[in-house]
Amino acid sequence: MSRAAALALAAALALPAALAAQDSTPPAPTGVRVGITYTPGTRPSIAVLVAGGAALDSVRTILGRDLDYSDRFEVVAPPAVAAALDSSGAPNYRALNALGTDFAVSVVASAASSADPRAPGAVDVLLHDVRSGAVKNRVTLQVGDAGGSALRRAVHRAADEVVQWATGAKGIASSVIYYVADGRIWRVDPDGADRVLIPTAGRPSLSPVRSRDGRTLAYTAFVRSGQPIVLQDLASGRREVLPGTEYGMNITPEFSPDGRRLAFAHGDENGTDLFVYDLARRTTTRLTVGRYYDNLSPAWSPDGQRIAFISTRAGLPQLYVMQADGTGQEALARFDYGFTGMTYAPEWSPDGQAVVFHREVAGTPQVFVLDLATRAVKQITGEGRNEDATWAPDGRHVCFASSRGGTRLLWIVDLETGRMRQLFSTVGARLPAWSPGHASLEAG
Amino acid sequence: MMHHVGLASLSALLVVAACSKPPAPAAPAPAPAPAAAPSTAAADSAARAAARRDSLAALARADSLERAARERAQADSVRAEVQRAQADSAAAAVRSGLSAADSGVLVDAVHFDYDKADLLAAELPRLDRKLAIFQAHPRIEVQIAGSCDERGSDEYNLALGERRAAAAKRYLVAHGVAADRITIVSYGKERPLDPGHTEEAWAKNRRDDFVVTRGAN
Repeated sequence: MSRAAALALAAALALPAALAAQDSTPPAPTGVRVGITYTPGTRPSIAVLVAGGAALDSVRTILGRDLDYSDRFEVVAPPAVAAALDSSGAPNYRALNALGTDFAVSVVASAASSADPRAPGAVDVLLHDVRSGAVKNRVTLQVGDAGGSALRRAVHRAADEVVQWATGAKGIASSVIYYVADGRIWRVDPDGADRVLIPTAGRPSLSPVRSRDGRTLAYTAFVRSGQPIVLQDLASGRREVLPGTEYGMNITPEFSPDGRRLAFAHGDENGTDLFVYDLARRTTTRLTVGRYYDNLSPAWSPDGQRIAFISTRAGLPQLYVMQADGTGQEALARFDYGFTGMTYAPEWSPDGQAVVFHREVAGTPQVFVLDLATRAVKQITGEGRNEDATWAPDGRHVCFASSRGGTRLLWIVDLETGRMRQLFSTVGARLPAWSPGHASLEAG
Repeated sequence: MMHHVGLASLSALLVVAACSKPPAPAAPAPAPAPAAAPSTAAADSAARAAARRDSLAALARADSLERAARERAQADSVRAEVQRAQADSAAAAVRSGLSAADSGVLVDAVHFDYDKADLLAAELPRLDRKLAIFQAHPRIEVQIAGSCDERGSDEYNLALGERRAAAAKRYLVAHGVAADRITIVSYGKERPLDPGHTEEAWAKNRRDDFVVTRGAN
């Protein structure tokens, strides 16, 4: 398309001046050196285009939201002339290009699907590189008899494929978040939909965490005889008390990245200490020996070599680290005695480069990220109480419980842009644990 | 057909979910996408946007009222549960064959300072009075349950409550009560006596409760 034609189209669509004038040089502000143009946070734009009936509209809605929530694109809604797909399902590359759109995702009834466009058996999701006018990749979703949840999962997986194709990065749409509300454990998709109650033993049930293979949920159950750690098979619902946790207080379970071990804190009359249980050998190893002080909240490094944890050995709870066998215990985040606020709930980032935790600032908990290379800590939140942060599998989003807005809800922050969003509006939601991928075996 | 209905109700759900977001994000959000939705009729679009803002604001108001109501209901149910547990505990003490006065002394709660599990001098007489009952009724067994105020993390407060229960047990054992007559448990901040957010509420919640688990007879 010639520049004249592009400008003509832009004029016809009454584009804002900023875009129409992209080829002209803006006047240089006085006192500013004009040279290298730096545009922080510029992200590719992407349009989701659909041909078909109401069924595909909901696919567009879910897909568009997933791409928006990835925070890796500007999701744009082009005007009708540019959003239309032709009879072969191809987008209008020229119009989209004129609008400055980088990518388009088209959702069309699969050629192999039923003739009824309102209820296609399968849909094709294609990613187009608008500038080169070519299909970059495609995936077919089976949506035939799929109910709401199954359709949503299929679309979430497609959204993650699109993120991967377009940016080479991992998406989070098909991950899940476990959390506690009303003393029970729930699961929710990261777009806030599909909240599912996981029936557990004991109430409250606290600190849910799922094994990486998606098969097992571990949590602390308040039952008459004590607070055991329960291992629950998510497919069958079968429960097993972790050996050694039949008595006393057993809290903050955390699977090792390879899923073979479970670290947890056991409390009794002598204080609270960290232990690790080998699930194959069925042996327990003690990691800390505290007398009348507490060691809790173990967090494995992604390579399984180290464990960050919270200890009150120096008075207030602070962040420490040790080798996974319990040796080499030392402070992980620098603290000044009597000055640095109480520190809680560490979680190691998926890339191993950072640890997220929360710390009291003037009596109010706030989420922090510790950069392990520089040992610098950065405060992420400032409004209300913000607690119990958990990393998304993409390593750039963090979910946490927050009282901003007056009530305790789950929020998600994108650490790169600072964008925050409320996950859903259930009151009293807490202790979120972000887990990669839906377990295919999981019931309900 | 079923499939179709499912999707329609799903879309409705999504709309509701989208509308229940708070009106103003707290943190710096990225600038809105430039030129994302060009319009041919700016005035019409502005009117629609204003109407949408109004309806969103109305939804946000309704949402926050509903939330506040749900929070109150939750606080009420926690309070009711705790009161029930205390009544149960007092009833158990009476059933235990103790006199009402002795039962009252035995289940009298012990209180703590913020983030501390040390027994306060002012609280020791409450424990000392229990010693006489343990001596007079050698079959009596109790569970000590440690609790905390709402400050500090959910998980840390479980450990702190355990220390509080352990501190009272150590004192009683040091003064002659057999260790196997006392079990301990921590409820962290899961069972506040007063769900308020004041120092007065917090002071009530930092406590050890005593429950008779085996009677005098």
